Amino acid sequence: MGLFGASAWKAAAATFAELPFVNGRRELVTNFPQKGAMLLQRTRPPLLETPFEVFDQGVFTPTDRFYVRWHLANIPNSVDPATFRLNIRGHVRQPISLTLDDLVREFRPFEIAAVNQCSGNSRGFFSPRVPGGEWANGAMGNALWKGVRLKDVLDRTGVKAGAPQVRFRGLDTGAIPQTPNFMKSLAIDHARDGEVMIAYAMNGDPLPLLNGFPLRLVVPGWYATYWVKMLDDIEVLDKPDDNFWTTKAYLIPDTPFANVQPGQQGVKMVPINRMLPRSFFTNVQDGAVFKVGQATTVRGIAFGGDTGVAKVLFTSDAAGPWQEARLGPDHGKYGFRQWEVPLRLSSRGPHKLMIKAVNTAGSAQPDHANWNGAGFMRNVVESVSVQAT
Amino acid sequence: MSTNLRNLALVWAVPILLGIALATGLAWSRNTDSTAAVGETAGGPVQRWAKVSVEMPTSHAAFPAGNGAEIANGQCLICHSAGMVLRQPPLTLDEWTGEINKMRNSFGAPLPADQVAALARYLVGINGRQQSPGGPSAVDGQGS
Repeated sequence: MGLFGASAWKAAAATFAELPFVNGRRELVTNFPQKGAMLLQRTRPPLLETPFEVFDQGVFTPTDRFYVRWHLANIPNSVDPATFRLNIRGHVRQPISLTLDDLVREFRPFEIAAVNQCSGNSRGFFSPRVPGGEWANGAMGNALWKGVRLKDVLDRTGVKAGAPQVRFRGLDTGAIPQTPNFMKSLAIDHARDGEVMIAYAMNGDPLPLLNGFPLRLVVPGWYATYWVKMLDDIEVLDKPDDNFWTTKAYLIPDTPFANVQPGQQGVKMVPINRMLPRSFFTNVQDGAVFKVGQATTVRGIAFGGDTGVAKVLFTSDAAGPWQEARLGPDHGKYGFRQWEVPLRLSSRGPHKLMIKAVNTAGSAQPDHANWNGAGFMRNVVESVSVQAT
Repeated sequence: MSTNLRNLALVWAVPILLGIALATGLAWSRNTDSTAAVGETAGGPVQRWAKVSVEMPTSHAAFPAGNGAEIANGQCLICHSAGMVLRQPPLTLDEWTGEINKMRNSFGAPLPADQVAALARYLVGINGRQQSPGGPSAVDGQGS
């Protein structure tokens, strides 16, 4: 009875996390297929955030804790590799239809470590707030993606001259027929750059269904909106894509860091594209208490966005100076990089620890938060407030 | 070594060697997975392709009672669970109206035009705010 009572109580008691913004209470759920404990942002279609402590475990995000983001509610519950086909068609010499085994056997395998980050990661921290998926910082993850180069598949089908773009579509559809199918396009040269790939594995295993089983487009360095899940249709276009998701959604102000003033009008808008550098603390949180003079190690992760991390800068004093953090192993320029610094706070009282990544193109995280009405591309310098006693 | 012993050794050697080979192979592939950065890799499937069938959890959450709750429960839940709305920051009447019209114009929500105002008033009632002194939070009408 005792044991039964305890487990029944455990099952009944939901666990919640308080994300640090208004209306930020989120349930930690374990009832999504092939997923461990995740923060519930929305049940249908699923939006699941990676609890931030997961990022302290290493630079590769465990597949069962990798965040989940779907736009449309009609997601197949079942995919059968025996009948699944990837179709490549459109402005090509020879349309082809490939099985998963065709992809594995007939093309040279390719793999790359790359961060997949939602365009709206960290939207909940926007001030003033904006509507959308109200994520904290866990709508991102880094995986080792394995599959085939998109270029090799396009070459097999024979792209005809004059194709401006390639459009990608997955198996998901809207709950009602009036909802536009989710499709995204890339410029033809980008699609053929030898890095954009079709992944059939992440971190050595097939993708979980919620992360796009059996195939997902991987667009290293670009926001996740382009990483089409359950990819089954690739259409080479003979004129620029005019579909809703490419022309009207996921637009950003054409300004540095996509930054505008709230209410600002008349800004040119362009499709979201390359990611910006970011860095995070993973073993220290707001409110942490240290002993004066106590030696400790502060660590976290960083990524360069569309290129590698050049350096990660740390300070425990907003007035500076900044010191360079020691960087962990480099698994490729598009992945997470661990950083760490030794810390010894010498004076009693509050301290603000700050971290800033600079990428190999010289782009640094801004000191003031960038803002736009869609809540995209936040990449401000991160800080935690701690005490020394 | 007697014939019996030799036979015994052979019988055991095969599974043992196979085990070592398997273990080395596994360790090797795990090692490549954790250290490889980018590039071409050994071929072959990651594993035999198996059919994947899952069951998604369903949301039983409904909108809180109030004038207009029946519109929210009848319309919003067609395409998404209630949590998406209930987890938004507090929005103004204009901002909620913008969100509702985004659902109608961009995603084809069948909400009749003459119910937009009533639904917006309801949403302000359950999760609303007055215009902030810092200006609008600029619902920009995107579908994302």
